[in-house]
Amino acid sequence: MNKLSLAYELHKRKLLTLLLTGVFIWSLFAVQWSTGLIHGSGLATAGQIFGAMFQPDVSADILIIALESSWITLAYAAAGMSLAIILAFFLGIWASGVLASGAKSRYFMKGTFRSVLGFMRAIHELVWAWLFVASFGLSPYAAVFALAIPYGGILGRIFADMLNDVPKEPIQALESAGASRIQCLIYGYLPNVRANILSYVMYRFECAVRSSAIMSFVGLGGLGYQIQLSLDDLQYNEVWTFLFFLIGVVVLIDLWSSQLRRRLAL
Amino acid sequence: MRKPKLDFINFSVILSLLIIAGSWFYIIVGQNASLTALFTGKNLEYAAKFFKGLFGVGVEDPAFTNRDSWSSALSLTLDTLQMSIMAIGFATVTMFLTVIPATRTVANGSLTLSKKRYSWISYGLIRVSYVFSRAIPELVWAMVIIFIFKPGILPGAIALALHNFGILGKLCAEVIEDLDKRPARNLASSGASKWQILMYAVLPAVMPQYLTYILYRWEVIMRTTIVVGFVGAGGLGQQFKMSMSFFHYTDITLLLICYIVLVFIADYVSEKSRNFVK
Repeated sequence: MNKLSLAYELHKRKLLTLLLTGVFIWSLFAVQWSTGLIHGSGLATAGQIFGAMFQPDVSADILIIALESSWITLAYAAAGMSLAIILAFFLGIWASGVLASGAKSRYFMKGTFRSVLGFMRAIHELVWAWLFVASFGLSPYAAVFALAIPYGGILGRIFADMLNDVPKEPIQALESAGASRIQCLIYGYLPNVRANILSYVMYRFECAVRSSAIMSFVGLGGLGYQIQLSLDDLQYNEVWTFLFFLIGVVVLIDLWSSQLRRRLAL
Repeated sequence: MRKPKLDFINFSVILSLLIIAGSWFYIIVGQNASLTALFTGKNLEYAAKFFKGLFGVGVEDPAFTNRDSWSSALSLTLDTLQMSIMAIGFATVTMFLTVIPATRTVANGSLTLSKKRYSWISYGLIRVSYVFSRAIPELVWAMVIIFIFKPGILPGAIALALHNFGILGKLCAEVIEDLDKRPARNLASSGASKWQILMYAVLPAVMPQYLTYILYRWEVIMRTTIVVGFVGAGGLGQQFKMSMSFFHYTDITLLLICYIVLVFIADYVSEKSRNFVK
């Protein structure tokens, strides 16, 4: 290896860092910093909003609404995730190509299903929600499907990657004992990825709760809807009550999933 | 036969099954949502009309064949790209400023071999701010930020940065916590200052992982730019919302095309650069 390529190998991380910093500085020119960026009363509003943080509205009827909409948010997230898991299970297995027998059919299956998964997750869940609401109206199913499609895409892709990373030896042992592709899948691949995929699903569930909260933007109920209503009424104290409920739900699920992940890793 | 034990994992499985069952029960019975009602003739007619509108069937001069629409959509795409880069840049800068005190091994002094009284306080405060900024979705941040800033790409970038600051901070603090402590301790015991430890022991070891996380979050931000635009934070999303209100369906198709292409380009670039630094 000559000197130049060695220097390149050693410094390519610095090169990339430099490039990324340059791109960031370029992006700053997109904003005209000299003209007024803040509303005339913007700073006063900011003061009111962050002042309200320390005195959230804790009257009984607001708390009841907050509890109810937390449950709606959680319910949409759980229902959406359950569909996403089913979608990801089948699409992920197909996209990993472990069921294909020949090299050609594996290449074909991988290509097709990976691009299907890519398309599913390329579009944000809120855009899916809007498409569903526009085509069949305000129904809880719009929220559930809108969550299930992009999350199915993400989970499916990760599941496929995990299946491809399974060590070859156990699979070869099964194959040489005469197992079919399906038997290899059930007794070789799936037990190998079980713990990893479970912990990833738990992590995604936390994200799904957050996504389900913003489904409100297209008119579907939940915490986000209440936040939006209170913001429109300029009731910042209520906004913070709902925000604290959202944070509570997310933190609870985060704690649960980190506990579960620690035990699964053993 | 062994008695089935109710340990934490089994309990979690049962609890999640209960939550899923309860959710479906609530949606089907509590909210009276029937799946068959979605597929009535009327709904199908609406859906058909909507998709025909999107594909520009029977529309004179649909936006995706119009030259002017393309050029305005492309300039919005550039705006969106700049917004996403600005967002990840802000998030990265604030993360770097806070990540060292937010690391447990620094707070308890096992990494730098020096312990200050206030280190646990700053650790706690920064960790709480991470949880706080992470738990609130980008869109909600954007809805609040738009009260303060004038519409444009800056509030969008700030909203995206606020959410990703918490995520990046948590991930990056964990990277430092998992570091091999020996090089840093070695430097500390030979008299290196805090900054020298950071420059020579911590940064070189964490840089590849950090670059991976930053590029990965940038991919996610790219996808979310359209959403913060919905509340007036500039870029493709804002125009999307506008065309939606005016029922300019072919414009929406054009914007969606630009958006998907942008997302795919971002995925590709980030994957290539991640492989580059591996």
